[in-house]
Amino acid sequence: MLKCSLRAVVAVFLTAVFLTTSPAATHAQDVTANPFTTRLDIRMGERLFRQQCGRCHGRDATGGELGPDLTSGFRNVSTDAGLFRVVREGLPNTQMIGISRSTTDQSVWMVVSYLNSLNDTADVELPGDATAGMQIFNGKGGCTSCHMVSGQGGRRGPDLTRVGNRRDPNELASDLRTPDEDVAPRWWTVRITRENGSVVEGLRMDEDTFTLRLMDEQEDLWSFSKGRIRSHERIETSTMPSIEGLLTASEVDDLVAYLATLRRGES
Amino acid sequence: MKRLVVVIALLTCALPVSGQPVESSPGATASFSTVTWERLLNAADEPENWLMYSGTLDSQRFSRLDQIHNRNVSELELKWAYQIPQLDRAETTPLVVDGVMFITEAPSNVVAVDAATGQEYWRYDHELPDDLRICCGRNNRGVAILGDTLYMSTLDAHLVAIDAKTGNLIWDKEVADHQSGYSKTAAPLIVKDQVVTGIAGGEFGIRGFIDSYDATTGELEWRANTIPGPDHPDSQTWAGDSWRTGGSASWITGSYDPDLDLVYWGTGNPGPDWNGDVRMGDNLYSDSALALNGVTGALEWYFQFTPHDEHDWDAIQVPILADLQMGGETRKVMMWANRNAFYYTLDRETGEFLVGKPFAKQTWAEGLDSNGRPIRVPGTAPSPEGTLVSPPVGGGTNWFSPAYSPRTELFYVMAFDGEAIYFKRDEDYNEGDRYTGGGQQYNLPMDKYQSAVRAIDPKTGNIRWEYQVQPRSTAGVLATGGDLVFSGSIDGYFYALDAVSGAELWHIAVGARVHSAPMTYAVDGKQYLTVAAGNVVFTFGLRE
Repeated sequence: MLKCSLRAVVAVFLTAVFLTTSPAATHAQDVTANPFTTRLDIRMGERLFRQQCGRCHGRDATGGELGPDLTSGFRNVSTDAGLFRVVREGLPNTQMIGISRSTTDQSVWMVVSYLNSLNDTADVELPGDATAGMQIFNGKGGCTSCHMVSGQGGRRGPDLTRVGNRRDPNELASDLRTPDEDVAPRWWTVRITRENGSVVEGLRMDEDTFTLRLMDEQEDLWSFSKGRIRSHERIETSTMPSIEGLLTASEVDDLVAYLATLRRGES
Repeated sequence: MKRLVVVIALLTCALPVSGQPVESSPGATASFSTVTWERLLNAADEPENWLMYSGTLDSQRFSRLDQIHNRNVSELELKWAYQIPQLDRAETTPLVVDGVMFITEAPSNVVAVDAATGQEYWRYDHELPDDLRICCGRNNRGVAILGDTLYMSTLDAHLVAIDAKTGNLIWDKEVADHQSGYSKTAAPLIVKDQVVTGIAGGEFGIRGFIDSYDATTGELEWRANTIPGPDHPDSQTWAGDSWRTGGSASWITGSYDPDLDLVYWGTGNPGPDWNGDVRMGDNLYSDSALALNGVTGALEWYFQFTPHDEHDWDAIQVPILADLQMGGETRKVMMWANRNAFYYTLDRETGEFLVGKPFAKQTWAEGLDSNGRPIRVPGTAPSPEGTLVSPPVGGGTNWFSPAYSPRTELFYVMAFDGEAIYFKRDEDYNEGDRYTGGGQQYNLPMDKYQSAVRAIDPKTGNIRWEYQVQPRSTAGVLATGGDLVFSGSIDGYFYALDAVSGAELWHIAVGARVHSAPMTYAVDGKQYLTVAAGNVVFTFGLRE
């Protein structure tokens, strides 16, 4: 039902766009979806994105100093037509400005295709069995003691509900095998030594010039003023254990296959 | 008109509310006196006012006000906040003239408020076309004032004159065609009876310039092209016709030395930013400090910080002027912490290079030669597959203002120790479109880098102290006669440091990124500090 109504909206929008603005209007009146979705279109969209959008959103669309990450869904749109409109016109009263007006509608659609490719929900051919992987995740792997999926699970690791959108299978396998290699700052462990010498360790929830907030192993939240502690230091190792030796290679494949299915609209 | 304003003000003050007489607040009947060129020349002598973008013509961003000092700064408290009705980030430095504050807002608006209360007198909203070409957000950094008139740059590359008493538009001058990629964001600089102003558009293949307009009529008096034409020998530093689209914008405010009658202005990156193959040569006068004759705009000297730049390291910093005792004599110098991560002290009479040292992490140069020219590390140019270099595109510092205290003889700057992977690609020039030839990407989470306020001895280039803040902070710096240094940070703090030692003395969470530089002023004998954070202008004063 949702798909039908979205398609109808897209069709109406596209018809309007091509009737009013596209040089190819006479050939595109029956278009019902983004007409530029081939691999070449995506590559062309990527080139245009880097040129026109990368300065704010980062060259790889993972976010920059002005614009948000566009690889894990979009804040303001849920349809291709909406995405087209935002790319074309920008968002009022924000720093998001529309793409250069000399950019053709075809090129804007290519950017839409590129952005969709970054949030691709198509099936990926993987060696593992996702169903078996889910069982490992919820059982033998012990993953739920720290990770949530769809509101179920622990708090001491990243929420994995949409991990398939932001990490590719190779990265997921690497995360499982060598978790110390690429710990995101949100999951750094910090050791605080108070002025009286007592110590608190926990996950670094946020830090700024003057303060630091963390969650300890009991999942209690702490906030410290850096001026009122003796010291603070980062512990380089991740709280995430490596699955090397815990799971077989086949089980790792299954787990990766399951994690890869955890995407927007699928989990 | 002036009489009408006074009548309205009197009526407003006389109106009773619920039978009680209204008590006029300080500044409520402010009627500032005309801002003459003499006042601007001697702006340091009236520290209760902040009469131009950098405070004074030498751009030291130093105020003699010392009521707030390093022993009572911890008693600062919020006095008022002004909410800008736009979500864009505020990069403005307000002016204060006799109790009236002028704040610019995104996209190209200005509002006048009572400097003691933040309450509005008037506002001017500039009408903009919907086909702007802007690289990096809808910003405006401030106005200039002369007489009773404000001068403001607008995003559609116009210069407007606005009546400072009412906000009425007096004249509106198109400086360049915005559809060709030009825009304007910086506060102009008043030089005698002229309005000197730069241009933005370095990411759109423009040809940069610095203009001077008659303050009364808006007529162009002179234009200094920041890229010489083919009739000039320095044009040979651009391959082929690349000078036509070579960028070299001028998007921050310059400085002026009345004794030498020289206007000093920085220039931006050559274009396309990251692909230098199409513009072989030094690309004069991009990434340079220019000294222009104050009457004719003729180029008296230049100093190019980054010849043939391929990393977008604009020399878009405010030049700070001071007279220093160096080598047993008084030198008229210019101090400059550049986006390329080197600090320079130059002789501002001649452009002679005196001192140069890195002030932030850099991996692109082995050092500077005896003329200040960088000795490049091979293999640091952007490439199709990516090249890791420090500093990143944002630079060791950028446009946000540094400060200099004649009391401590230290230069203060917000520095960034970072790195990025630079990419190059082929790109054709199409008028009005972006023309950058590549890009950059940070290779580590921002938390792994470091920003810091650094105090530099301009006689040696040595760093005297640093105060670390969250990366990547982009706040400017203010120094005061109370031996304080004020700045902000990306994590939403406004803070005061001891100007001598760098020790933190006070801070407050203002809840949003500080992208502006603080300024200070006084009304009715009380010193205030103002800084914009997020889209709010905050003003602080001592607890009473």
